[in-house]
Amino acid sequence: MQVGFYFDQTRCIGCSACAIACKDWHDIPAGSEHWMKILYNEEGKFPNVYVSYVINPCFQCEDPVCIPVCPVNAITKRIEDGIVTVDSETCIGKDECGSKCLKACPYKAPQFSSEKDAKMRKCNYCLDRHLEGKLPSCVESCRTHALDADTLENLKRKYGPIQEANNFQYSSRTKPAIIFKPKKT
Amino acid sequence: MGTPENNTVKKDYKIVRTATAFDCGGRCPLRFHVKEGKVIRIEGDDFEDKDNQLRSCLRCRALRQYIYHPDRLKFPLKRDGPKGSGKFKRISWDEALSEIAGKLKEVKEKYGNSSIFLAMGGGYQAALHDGMFAMIRLFTHFGGFSTHYGNVSSEGAVYATQTQYTSPFVGHSRPDLKNSKLIIMWGWDPARMISGSDTIYNLIQAKEMGIRIVCIDPRYTDSAVVLADQWIPIIPGTDTAMMVAMAYVMIKENLYDQAFLDKYTIGFNKFAEYVIGKEDGIPKTPEWAEEITSVPAETIRDLAREYATAKPAALMDCQGPARSATGELYNRCAMTLTAMTGNVGRHGGSAAGGLMGIPYGHMFFASRIPPPYRNPVETGLKSVRGSLDLQLRFQARCHINKIFDAILKGKEGGYPFDVKFAWFVNNNFLNQLGNANKAAEALKKLDYMVCAELWLTPTARYADIILPVASTAEKTDFTRPWPSGPYFLAINQVIEPLGECKSDLRIAEELADKLGLEEFEKYQDEEKALKFLIKLREDSRKNIRNTKEFWEKGIHRLDIGEPYVAFKEQIEDIENKPFATPSGKIEIFSQRIADLNDPENPPIPKYLERWEGRYDPLSKKYPIQLLSPHPKNRVHSELFLIDWLREVDPHVAWINPVDAEPRRIRDGDEILVFNDRGKITIKAWLTERIIPGVISIFEGAWYDPDENGIDRGGCVNTLTKDAYSPGGASALKSCLVDIKKFNGGA
Repeated sequence: MQVGFYFDQTRCIGCSACAIACKDWHDIPAGSEHWMKILYNEEGKFPNVYVSYVINPCFQCEDPVCIPVCPVNAITKRIEDGIVTVDSETCIGKDECGSKCLKACPYKAPQFSSEKDAKMRKCNYCLDRHLEGKLPSCVESCRTHALDADTLENLKRKYGPIQEANNFQYSSRTKPAIIFKPKKT
Repeated sequence: MGTPENNTVKKDYKIVRTATAFDCGGRCPLRFHVKEGKVIRIEGDDFEDKDNQLRSCLRCRALRQYIYHPDRLKFPLKRDGPKGSGKFKRISWDEALSEIAGKLKEVKEKYGNSSIFLAMGGGYQAALHDGMFAMIRLFTHFGGFSTHYGNVSSEGAVYATQTQYTSPFVGHSRPDLKNSKLIIMWGWDPARMISGSDTIYNLIQAKEMGIRIVCIDPRYTDSAVVLADQWIPIIPGTDTAMMVAMAYVMIKENLYDQAFLDKYTIGFNKFAEYVIGKEDGIPKTPEWAEEITSVPAETIRDLAREYATAKPAALMDCQGPARSATGELYNRCAMTLTAMTGNVGRHGGSAAGGLMGIPYGHMFFASRIPPPYRNPVETGLKSVRGSLDLQLRFQARCHINKIFDAILKGKEGGYPFDVKFAWFVNNNFLNQLGNANKAAEALKKLDYMVCAELWLTPTARYADIILPVASTAEKTDFTRPWPSGPYFLAINQVIEPLGECKSDLRIAEELADKLGLEEFEKYQDEEKALKFLIKLREDSRKNIRNTKEFWEKGIHRLDIGEPYVAFKEQIEDIENKPFATPSGKIEIFSQRIADLNDPENPPIPKYLERWEGRYDPLSKKYPIQLLSPHPKNRVHSELFLIDWLREVDPHVAWINPVDAEPRRIRDGDEILVFNDRGKITIKAWLTERIIPGVISIFEGAWYDPDENGIDRGGCVNTLTKDAYSPGGASALKSCLVDIKKFNGGA
């Protein structure tokens, strides 16, 4: 089974409530560690300007490239739901290994605090909530209902097959588990 | 109310349903997870009907950092250095209140009660513990006090609605937006300025239903990003000119609703004479307006035709553009357009008027413990009832945006009092009113100042005594939303007060003891007090029948059937249910204003230029207009210190590259923004999302002057003017500046 996210780019106001709900739920201080981020894109010239936002969590890729590059096998893809988790106890820290997972990830999902030799942590689809049958914190916090979470199969059924959006490139190598309603340019 | 019933026990934590009382346009149900007396996480609304959840914005998502911030004040403080130095020492409550009581008695005896000034803000919007009303009661018992008139946010809209409808309830329930065929969002950005917890989602739903949305704004706002079928950028302060030209098109092309005007309004002919040029020889054509607004004449023509023929259409004129030197005329003109198109009192329409409020669960109906009798300092004055003469309001008060001028100049400067003692509660006025440098000067000279606060704000830095106030999470209370709803929210106490923090109500009660005011009524039994406050107003009394259930659920949602529509009663039966105006009709022409004989306050809405707009001669020296919209990551200046909120939206100035390039300003450069009132530094954000000739800096960043007097905190009000329009709008958006790259020097 493979879970995933849905993101309606036409609805996102870039408010970052999702990013803060994430930080609150997982108790992450302000700083360099962002399990969920909103990326900004602006194009055009006044007054013909185009703006879009896109989410940047860990997309729980179907073929996560972070796993094979980890020198200590700290990253696992759960068979039962496809959630990619990291064992921070096993991780040897960013300086020791040179942040190989982060370098490999096309979405910069692996996160490190600014502390020396910080262990990798990242979005885990709110695994604790998921196991209780709840949606991830970011999804429930979205004021414009631009986010959803479900199995990738269900999301495709509900929202269609589109996996591309403005300011996002689908990696056929890693296969991010994301469905979009993209915003037209 | 702290009863175990409302606390769901989960594994090793419990959930407390509560809300906040910020001066915020959203009001959202929250679920606090509490473990061993400490908040560990916060979740939002879990209403089963997900589409109608009241989802909180990023601000309340970050409340944990607010409650437990290391800079929260936890003990009474006494000044221990020059005023403004920020040097304080910890003292006991007894010492603090004894000193204050002694000072109050001394000032009363030497200078009289009018020398005691109460500066009240909107920083706590709940019934029981509101410091504003606690202090009004206390000082009334003490023999009276001086204070201010008007508000910073909406005074232009208040004056405009008083003029033309004589009612502030000009709104529709938000879901009624989905009954429109066209929504015009004028200066309205509910993605940031949360005017109703459910507003942005209702607008998104409207858009997805195919309803056309036009955004008129100097900025391409985040609301426009998701909603706008068309963005019409406009030069700030010229909105009224565009509206007048829209009226011109409707008149010339006979697109207006004469039958509606005949039946429900007075004075349209006088307005039409002005519009077509009979009054002053200037026809207010779209070409005339293009010169002023920079909006192409064809765009104005098209929108006028579209608005006049799309029935119903909702013209949503936000209060923001009314925060100008001619503010009320903008809302008055918008209301006139809604009458011309017959959109008042109709589903899917709008009465305009900026306030957008409905009379259920509304903040204007907020219950508070009433004072025992009229403030003795304000007795025996001429009645202000029904009058639009602002001068009557200043018999005993100063305008809110003149507080610091009044403190500096007193009676010699024409104000009705000399301030010797000031109590600041629920506000950070140094930061949030015009001209922060003047405010700092005034507070340095002020004899004695008390500030009740949670933080060492730029205002509190000047206090002689600071009293630490408990946060909403540390209180039980009852609150309601700003404009929309309809619902009521319960504030259940989540944790014990931090340190020695107290609520403003308790502070007033203890000070009453020190002053020996035995008749000052206390409200120690909170359950009883809150029942009384719920019963105090008809809407809450009628609807919250089961108070136990209310405190457990944390919310009471009102079922009002179909969406509320302002003035529906009047439009359906004007003979028996007239408007509250003197004529009983919508007053496009106001005799009450004509009687004032002030050319800058005309009896019909007009486009006027006053000061610090694009065409003020001062623009030769200061060619850039400054906007100061609401921030998304703060409630005004509240929550400024919260790291989670700062990192998602760094404090920057929006600048069009057209203005930046000739000044050699690049994206990310530190710049100096300056005029004769002050200088601030801030990072430049180059964006095509703002009209050239204008910069935008979100209000609420904290004033932080360096040794050269340059405000390194980037407080926008270091630049704005402490002035108001003829109708009383705080004119913070009539402000000219220039910008240059900052290289460390002045």
